[in-house]
Amino acid sequence: MELKPIIEVKNLTFSYPAHQVLKKMNFALYPGEVVSLLGPNGCGKSTLIRLMLGLMRGSGDIRLDGAPLARYSHREIAQHIAYIPQHHSVPFNYTVAEMVMMGRAAKLGFFAQPGKRDREVAMEALRTVGIDGLASRPFGQLSGGQKQMVLLARALAQEVSTFIMDEPVTGLDYGNQMRLLEMISHLAGQGKTILKTTHYPDHALLVSSRVAVMHDGHMIDEGVPDAVITPEMLRRVYGVEADIVAHRDKNWCLPHFRRVCA
Amino acid sequence: MQRRCALALSAAFIVLLLVATLTLMWGQYPVDARTLAGFLEYKLFGGEALPQYALLENIIVQIRLPRILLAMLIGAALAISGAAFQAMFVNPLVSPGILGVLAGASFGAALGMLVSEQWWVVQALAFAFGFVAVGFAVMVGGMVRAGRSSIMLVLGGVISGSLFTALLSVVKYVADPYSTLPAIVYWLMGSLSMADLDGVALAAVPMLLGIGGLIVLGRYFDLLSLGDEEARALGINVARIRFIAIVLATLASALCVVMAGIIGWVGLIIPHIVRMAFGPSHSLLMPLSAITGAAFLLLADSVSRLALSVEIPIGILTSLIGIPVFIIVLKHARATWN
Repeated sequence: MELKPIIEVKNLTFSYPAHQVLKKMNFALYPGEVVSLLGPNGCGKSTLIRLMLGLMRGSGDIRLDGAPLARYSHREIAQHIAYIPQHHSVPFNYTVAEMVMMGRAAKLGFFAQPGKRDREVAMEALRTVGIDGLASRPFGQLSGGQKQMVLLARALAQEVSTFIMDEPVTGLDYGNQMRLLEMISHLAGQGKTILKTTHYPDHALLVSSRVAVMHDGHMIDEGVPDAVITPEMLRRVYGVEADIVAHRDKNWCLPHFRRVCA
Repeated sequence: MQRRCALALSAAFIVLLLVATLTLMWGQYPVDARTLAGFLEYKLFGGEALPQYALLENIIVQIRLPRILLAMLIGAALAISGAAFQAMFVNPLVSPGILGVLAGASFGAALGMLVSEQWWVVQALAFAFGFVAVGFAVMVGGMVRAGRSSIMLVLGGVISGSLFTALLSVVKYVADPYSTLPAIVYWLMGSLSMADLDGVALAAVPMLLGIGGLIVLGRYFDLLSLGDEEARALGINVARIRFIAIVLATLASALCVVMAGIIGWVGLIIPHIVRMAFGPSHSLLMPLSAITGAAFLLLADSVSRLALSVEIPIGILTSLIGIPVFIIVLKHARATWN
């Protein structure tokens, strides 16, 4: 495969004042992939994606479309990559349409106002994620699942082909988790490139073309989901004994549940 | 959506014109509508001068008009700066007053009166120290690592405000008790009564620049209010936009202090009221806050000069109105914040 990576990370090191988070990390994201980034709490997944989005600076080499990321402005990065944060509260209660319209920022000139085409793109994005009916609702009154869909629509309104998602299903109920995963799989089917962090090995097995596992500041394993998500990996990274079971052409994790003895 | 915005703006603007016309008529010497219309027609299109026009010229053009223009300018500047600060710091509890801008500007202006007779020096120092005061408030507010919280920034503003109030006392202490000190004290009490057309015209240029600039930046405030990280990820140069916005908002609100002393609460309550009525989208919120602030201060000033036989200082009046309004806003506003 002679594809050129969209984002390439080499020897990336990052430290907070108290401790080192990333230790000479290497990683690459190729066009058309859906990559799930797994790893325990505090292993540096969020730090890695923030660095890749140019929101923080580390030492090492990050390239976007072959050129050093540091040479891009925030506006230029937003014209390449859309970031979908975890859903959260916003201090002012914008409508869903207004939230999605903010995805157009990197497309508009400095003094320009959003025009007819921008509104069409925003509405189309809402239709794609299936919440166009909520356009005039206040964002703050939506459920967690709906909020996450709005943030996804906002990313679609950026009209880019690469998406980075920070734990997209965290905090959502079971139904919304499944609908979001289906949406991710739908976008992947349209040729979008997606990098998402997740805490659920099962989700990585469901919708990924590749899985990358972070542990202790290193990328310890990468590859197709079925090869990477193994009982050994789950034991090493999460300290959980589990079986990997095939069911309906998919692999699933079944953890061994131990009763805690007093 | 667009039509709703245009409608709201034109409605607000008509209300403002109406209030302005009414306040031209109200006063110790009431002018009825017909006389006013006749006088305006004479001023604009010429014609036969009636004997009382010399008196009207004095009352309306020399006394009421500059005061009305100044009230509108200050109300608009304070309200729009408040809306800007609330969005750029992602904090519905801040305003030019709470961030210490007004205290910093009053110290700067008093210092200017102390060291120079030049009016532009007073304006420049008011702006400079207003800017230093916000910077100091933000620095103090961000010092605690758990900071970035609404309360820490408010606390930073309180500390910054106290610092510059103390520095102001130093200026008063060293000022010449026979000339400079009375001038400073008199000006600090805050009043629109000293307005004259030339002075208003002079301050109007930078103030309108600040107000206009903040309106143009409108949609950026939506993005800034999402927080730094998200705004950057959406393609905004947060540091640059916020710097420009702080300069514009400080320019507008610091000059209010130079023109009429400290007038509190307008910058805090007007954006909340507009937000509750028309939603938080800043393309609409910014111009609408300016218009509403202008109308509010115009009415407050009318009350201040008409309610009692002596004039009530406008700053006292805006506090008396602002505090209960803010308490009501606080109770209702959670729905618009979270």
